[in-house]
Amino acid sequence: MGVDDMRVDEHAIGRLIEESHDLHHDAMHATRDSLREMVEVGRESGTEPDPDRLLGAQRLALLTRGIGGGRALAAAGVGGALLALMARPAFADQTADVQMLQTAASIEVLAVATYDAALKLPFAGSLPAAVQAFAKTTKQQHMDHMQAFNAAVRALGGKPQTAPDPVLLDVVNKAKPGLTGPGPLVDLAITLEMGAAETYVAFVTTLSDKSARDTTASIMGVEAQHVAVLNAVKALVGAGHPEYIALPPPLDKLPAAAGHVGFPNAFHPYDQARPAAEGAVT
Amino acid sequence: MSADRHDPIEISERELRSMTTDLDDMHRATLPVMQEALAEWAELNHQVRTGIARVTPSRRGFLLGAGVALGGIALAACGSSSRSSSNTAATTTPTTVAGGGKLTGDLAVVALAAGLENLAAQTYGAGITAATAGKLGAVPPAVVDFAKTVQAQHVEHAAAWNAVLAGANQPKVTGVDKTVQDEVVAPAFAKVTDAAGLAALALELENVAAATYLEAISVVSAPAGIKTAATIEPVELQHAAILSFVLGKYPVPDTFTKMDGARPLTDVIA
Repeated sequence: MGVDDMRVDEHAIGRLIEESHDLHHDAMHATRDSLREMVEVGRESGTEPDPDRLLGAQRLALLTRGIGGGRALAAAGVGGALLALMARPAFADQTADVQMLQTAASIEVLAVATYDAALKLPFAGSLPAAVQAFAKTTKQQHMDHMQAFNAAVRALGGKPQTAPDPVLLDVVNKAKPGLTGPGPLVDLAITLEMGAAETYVAFVTTLSDKSARDTTASIMGVEAQHVAVLNAVKALVGAGHPEYIALPPPLDKLPAAAGHVGFPNAFHPYDQARPAAEGAVT
Repeated sequence: MSADRHDPIEISERELRSMTTDLDDMHRATLPVMQEALAEWAELNHQVRTGIARVTPSRRGFLLGAGVALGGIALAACGSSSRSSSNTAATTTPTTVAGGGKLTGDLAVVALAAGLENLAAQTYGAGITAATAGKLGAVPPAVVDFAKTVQAQHVEHAAAWNAVLAGANQPKVTGVDKTVQDEVVAPAFAKVTDAAGLAALALELENVAAATYLEAISVVSAPAGIKTAATIEPVELQHAAILSFVLGKYPVPDTFTKMDGARPLTDVIA
């Protein structure tokens, strides 16, 4: 299954985007303040020297090294990164912010398309009702996230991203033939959600525009929650008890270990974050 | 169906424990991320001390008050902000810590975070003790396992924040957010009679912590501080998601997480 197949989904995404403007206006409320601030402050911040050199150095590392940017920074050394940063034009910070926001939007585009496709798989109707409801709600949440990121892109003078992240799209296309049951489907969803969450954690630490950071921060935890739920679903499906996936669940029947499979890390990782410019509009 | 399959819970336990081993490995793999962030705090502090890097305070620094301190170095704040003064850290009031000491700026946020983490760990510990003593009725094993795991993670979070304080030559925060303890946790815990009640209280604490971290990300000056908060906030929200699930609530209720309920720096840490 190739990329062309996903292009069909992109058309569907376009229609969904239009519909969502009317249907989910309220969902954007939480980000309005951030976006308003971005309009006022964003350009100003892009023309000022970065007030914090280490933050700039991190951004540079993420832009140039991509995945594993944090480790790359450590390897390069702060001093070397600072030297490189000082040679950069002042407006580059804003460009970097736009690229990160576009990449974030591209991840959301792919997430929406993937959940949409998942809900149309032959076995989707036999999934537990709670899982189906989760997939539908999560798809909508990703749609709202995509709108928020693209609104942030516009606020900084950039072009909205409506295409999927190309690298993750390849991951999804390669996984499609194997989506014959809930297990592989949940695995793919976890891959996408973890990719999103880790990317946003990394971006939050590197975005120079405060409003862009606030918007991204308000989304990263939601993706992490998706991961937690999917980890729990995966465990229960893998253990042969999809019937336990319900609201409320049969607590007394749940295995003890089910109490913590949802959150394996005390500190959320970001070493698999997508490169800042991976999904940028070219 | 094999003989083992007559006991589906046993099979589930074995499979889940295998997965748990993998997850524990993943958890250990994330520790270097935190160590890296903490090293950046120390590196920035060292650079400021030696003059290699001059840290110019940002607008966010201004929100933290006129005297922004990082690693014991007072930084003059400048700039302006459009944020409401009601925000958690948008105050010039320093955080009061044990012994009457006061911290300002980023370190005040660090102390607040440590106090909240200590409170969360203490509350889960009290819940586990009550459950073990049979005071909460029949508590499902999954709930006990959840509480023990989450308590350990909160201890790790507190340790991370205390490492920052130690790196700044400040005393570690061993106390709790007494304001939240006295006004929220103690009265609520006294009314807890079952696992659901404990879960509801825990959910409130997790949401408060997450909101506080979200606000911290917005107002903290030091990039390493932002990074530390950014790696913890999603984990608190994951705790909240599972607690919501346990309580029969939708586990991801908000499309965008909120700062509502974030604790102010005026909280007393003791």
